[in-house]
Amino acid sequence: MENARAIRLLRWFCPQHLREEIEGDLLQRYERDLKKYGEKRARKKLLWNVIRFCRPGIVLRHKPNFSRNNFYMLSNYFKVASRIMIRNKAYSFINISGLAFGITGAALLFLWISHEFSYDQFHADKHRIYKAWNRALENGQINCWDVTPRILAPTLQEEFSPVEAAISYAQWESKHLFIVGETRLLKTSGAFADPGLLTMFSFPMLNGNPAKAFENPNSIVLTESFAKQLFGDEKAFGETLTISQSGYSFEFIITGILKDLPSNTSFKFEYLIPFQFLESLGEKYTHWGNNSVATYVKLKEGNSLETFNDQIKDIVRKHYADGQHIEIFLYPLTKMRLYSRFENGIPAGGRIEIIRMLGILGICLVVIACINFINLSTARAQRRSKEVAIRKVTGAFRHSLVMQFLCESVLIAVGAGVLSILAVYLLLPFFNKLIGQHLVFSFGNLTSWGIALGFVLLIGLLAGSYPALYLSSFRPMGILKNSGIATSGKNTLRSLLVVFQFGFAVMLIISAMVIYKQIDFLQNREAGYSKDNLIYIPLTGDLEKNYLAFKNELMQREVAVSVTKTSAPITEQWSSTNSIEWSGKHPEERTDFERIFMDDRPSATFGLNIVMGRDFDLQQFPNDSSAAILNETALKVMNLDNPIGEIIDDDGREWRIIGVVKDFVFTSPFRNIEPIIIFGGKARWAFNEIYIKLNPVNDVRKSLSALNELTKKYNPEYPFEYHFADVEYAHKFANLKTTLLITTIFTSIAIFIASLGLLGLSTYLIEARVKEIGIRKVLGGSVLSIMKLLSMSSLKPIVLGIIVFSPLTWLSMNWWLNSYAHRITLSVWIFLVAGMALILIALLTIGVQTYRAANTNPVNSLRNE
Amino acid sequence: MIKEYLGEFEETVLLLVAALQEDAYGAAIANEIESRLEREVNLSAVHVTLYRLEDKGLIKSTFGGATKERGGRRKRIYTITSAGMAMLKAMKEARITLWKMVPQLKIS
Repeated sequence: MENARAIRLLRWFCPQHLREEIEGDLLQRYERDLKKYGEKRARKKLLWNVIRFCRPGIVLRHKPNFSRNNFYMLSNYFKVASRIMIRNKAYSFINISGLAFGITGAALLFLWISHEFSYDQFHADKHRIYKAWNRALENGQINCWDVTPRILAPTLQEEFSPVEAAISYAQWESKHLFIVGETRLLKTSGAFADPGLLTMFSFPMLNGNPAKAFENPNSIVLTESFAKQLFGDEKAFGETLTISQSGYSFEFIITGILKDLPSNTSFKFEYLIPFQFLESLGEKYTHWGNNSVATYVKLKEGNSLETFNDQIKDIVRKHYADGQHIEIFLYPLTKMRLYSRFENGIPAGGRIEIIRMLGILGICLVVIACINFINLSTARAQRRSKEVAIRKVTGAFRHSLVMQFLCESVLIAVGAGVLSILAVYLLLPFFNKLIGQHLVFSFGNLTSWGIALGFVLLIGLLAGSYPALYLSSFRPMGILKNSGIATSGKNTLRSLLVVFQFGFAVMLIISAMVIYKQIDFLQNREAGYSKDNLIYIPLTGDLEKNYLAFKNELMQREVAVSVTKTSAPITEQWSSTNSIEWSGKHPEERTDFERIFMDDRPSATFGLNIVMGRDFDLQQFPNDSSAAILNETALKVMNLDNPIGEIIDDDGREWRIIGVVKDFVFTSPFRNIEPIIIFGGKARWAFNEIYIKLNPVNDVRKSLSALNELTKKYNPEYPFEYHFADVEYAHKFANLKTTLLITTIFTSIAIFIASLGLLGLSTYLIEARVKEIGIRKVLGGSVLSIMKLLSMSSLKPIVLGIIVFSPLTWLSMNWWLNSYAHRITLSVWIFLVAGMALILIALLTIGVQTYRAANTNPVNSLRNE
Repeated sequence: MIKEYLGEFEETVLLLVAALQEDAYGAAIANEIESRLEREVNLSAVHVTLYRLEDKGLIKSTFGGATKERGGRRKRIYTITSAGMAMLKAMKEARITLWKMVPQLKIS
């Protein structure tokens, strides 16, 4: 009846205590209209009148529902819910632990994500601070990089009125020896900066005036904990300290103590030295071609980035004849952490992609756990159906049944939430170590508790609403008459949910496997040089002038078989250039060559394979200090027919090629082989490290102590420091290994939750089919055939999940692998193995249940009929 | 003095509650407004006004009888309270005072 529909609409929004009279009045009007206008118009008018009643004067007349009766009902719901939970211990355990695992995983991930988003967001003027980037067309591609000339900041400040402040900032990892009384510390964690840094950013200062700290070039600002390392508990502010570098010593006055930098900033320094200090030593960096510092700019209020970027575009072109292809643009500080990848000159995401993946992972974990809850609750319908029927017969409204079921799910969610908070609290230190971050769950903070509570309640309601509606919809007549609802294993929604659960699990398994294979592949990549027994120590202090004596003694005492000075560790990039000149170079050619300096016998120390010409050998050929060695890729770029004896020119310095070595992995094992030029020992200023190939005959510990003794002898000022080449090489994989570990952990969690759900689900499904099994057995069904039957129905959605989600995984893993120059190709067998593994896990999970069910004596299941 | 003021429609509804006595309920009041004042009125407006007047304590209500044409639903019968009566009187006096200030036009 149409009228009934209009009345139902009214009941939906109208407060109960007004309902009767309004309905009466409406019907009275309808009767009148019926006589006056006929049925059709009367009906329309009725509906219209009902709609007109939907107004604040009516709708807002809902009396608050906190009558005492409701309170009693609510407490009763919780009482019943807790009784049911206690009675079905296995069910409650599966639900609570599954949810707790899911929530814990998600909470950790979301803490991580929110930490990532908070990077450099604490600066007071963050919306006006920008970092300068270069954009340049090189070999047909637009490259972007954020290292700029030192001269850029003062020029911007001088020539452009919208600029409030522009500063240079550089972290060159120079080796500074700090001397305070007896304390000596070798540090590379310092930064050079313009005085404006302290006022531009909001790093809290404990002592000193941010605006005046760098008035004197010989001033230094320390962080709190570094000051403590140097001065202990004594006051550091205003004191002096000595820094020595390369044989020179300088006095500095401490003019400021900064609070330790928070973990959510991209700045990492323990001390700041003003650029004025470097420049007071005589050297002013005014060359526009030398990109060596980061430039930060703070614009005055009310300037738009676009117009300003238009203004500064040509700044390099104007000042630098060779930089016609370079443009400068500003990029917001707030995007520095997460959005700093450029593809062909256009912002193309960056770290945010990882963060998004983490977010999806977190949501999926919670969803998997919620699916467990939904599946188990609906599967339990058989058991709860009589309860529902009795409650309805004795007068329960549907909404009160819904409330009761929601109370149950909220109770479970709260239980899981409490467990999760506990777990997060206990796991956070490990998780922090794992991901190398410093996350905190602020227990004193009401907002985070509010969010946690809201989240848990939301999960309870989301997971509980479908089962509540489903269970409360049973019709008591049918249930009481037929002793139960007609449940079969066929429930489309439930199967779909299982498909999703296991699809996600298979995605994670495959991801973990692919990451593992990729790491394995990269680790076993031919490095091209021998890392065994290879050690390097910093070339500091007196070692520079005592180097020859030091080397000779190492060789004489047979501690080392070969010693070579280099400009940088072979695992670190030091310098590159695109302005090498050689005979027959194409004028448009702008390939970047990696520069590394080595003085003597590099191939002996590093075990490089010489394919053409010879190694540096200063003893036989003293002229080798102005020689150069190429790698094969560099030779290919230069395209020289007969490279030996050719002269190359690097910014005015000439070098003679004497050899070519086989390609080796430089800086990072993830990159393709770059063209590398090894320059000889002429450039005395360039050397920073000493590589020592230890004598393999000796015990490493003995060699190290000999080395310690010798460095003490030749370089008494500095503490002994050394690095193993193979350890540093392995360090490169730390990040990737973290990714693998995280994926593995969350894969296990996801599989665990899904299996837990499967276990519960199969238990109830088998229970519902007990009689069927009994009859099958009576009619001669074998245990095996029944087990097959039961397993098949559980496995079908799982197999479907694997099939549907595998292609998705293939796409995403291919995308991930594409970020590596050296990558594996995805093979089908990874997918097969992952799918088989998952099916095996599923079979094991349900195996015991199906076996027990198939083995029961049919008499037990059928005699009650 | 009148402490609370009534809108024009509120006053009309209050007057009708007083006038209809035993027969003052939502639909009847709406009918009266339509037939006597020849004015289009919406049922929901009458209801909202009645509730508001009840909130102000100017009328009170009891459930009345159910009739067949109402689908078995009871009516809510409103009666005016003494506060409501006083309010009506006060408003009338105020009107008269104001009317007296209007220069009387002679009808010629």
